Amino acid sequence: MPSKLLRVGGSVLAVLGVLGILVLHWMVFFWTPTEASMGIIQRIFYIHVPSAWVAFFAFGIVALCGAMYLWLGDERLDHAAVSAAEGGMVFTTIVLLTGPLWGRIAWGTYWTWEPRLTLTLLLWFIYLGYFLVRSSTENPERGKRFSAVVGIVGALDIPLIHLSVLWFRSLHPTPVVMKPEGPTLHPDMLLTLAVGLISFTLLFLGVFLQRYTLAVATHLAAVREREARS
Amino acid sequence: MLSSTRLLRLGFLVLLALAVAVPAAAQDAAVPVTGLSGLSLRPYQFVFLAYALAWLLVLGWVVAVARRMARLERRLER
Repeated sequence: MPSKLLRVGGSVLAVLGVLGILVLHWMVFFWTPTEASMGIIQRIFYIHVPSAWVAFFAFGIVALCGAMYLWLGDERLDHAAVSAAEGGMVFTTIVLLTGPLWGRIAWGTYWTWEPRLTLTLLLWFIYLGYFLVRSSTENPERGKRFSAVVGIVGALDIPLIHLSVLWFRSLHPTPVVMKPEGPTLHPDMLLTLAVGLISFTLLFLGVFLQRYTLAVATHLAAVREREARS
Repeated sequence: MLSSTRLLRLGFLVLLALAVAVPAAAQDAAVPVTGLSGLSLRPYQFVFLAYALAWLLVLGWVVAVARRMARLERRLER
């Protein structure tokens, strides 16, 4: 049964992700060197950046599945999109909570309306709109189509967030990993970040698969109940 | 019995209390050392709080999915 396979696969990925995050915690607090200018607060970097990556990845899935849903009309694509959107909201919230804690020490303020922060907050609100559109439309099919459009529009914000530090004056540092001449990060810090990125991705994929099987099962149960009534 | 939501709220409050109390207790017990008078434990609190919040949010998502799954299974059994 594919759903059972997905659930088992999801559980395995989630457990691997949690184990990876435990290793990440050991690396962050006992192994990786302390950054010279910011000190201990820079260690938030190892959850802040992986959370941002997972959020972008999740919203990428939302946009892709949303576009495919609009084209093909396959319900499974909508289930995948809404499952990814839920995860994306969780990880964007982590980014929006951990960033200000870092900023308070590094910049002296929790929040400033600089481009990257503002665009990330906008992304959070766009995907909040994604769920509001779904739940506030009387016709569920129309709600799914509207939310697919919101998901696609929301994903357009992702490259803007990434490039905003290059295009505008920003408090955020310019990229230290994704740059043409290669990463300019200490090798130990880079390895810690890589463990964080892999672990967070595995955890997200694990829970995402569980959430997807839940969406499929809920849909099938509703169809079965409708058929039993008629 | 406590519901999962109450447990989550309780866990959050405990972590918040720890984030404030543990470094404060450590500060009380520490012996002042010359040359380190400018050292602040505040960044440690912030790092701890950031990691705790991340864990809580992920745990909240996992619990929410598991609860909905259990509810659906109960619905299907009826």
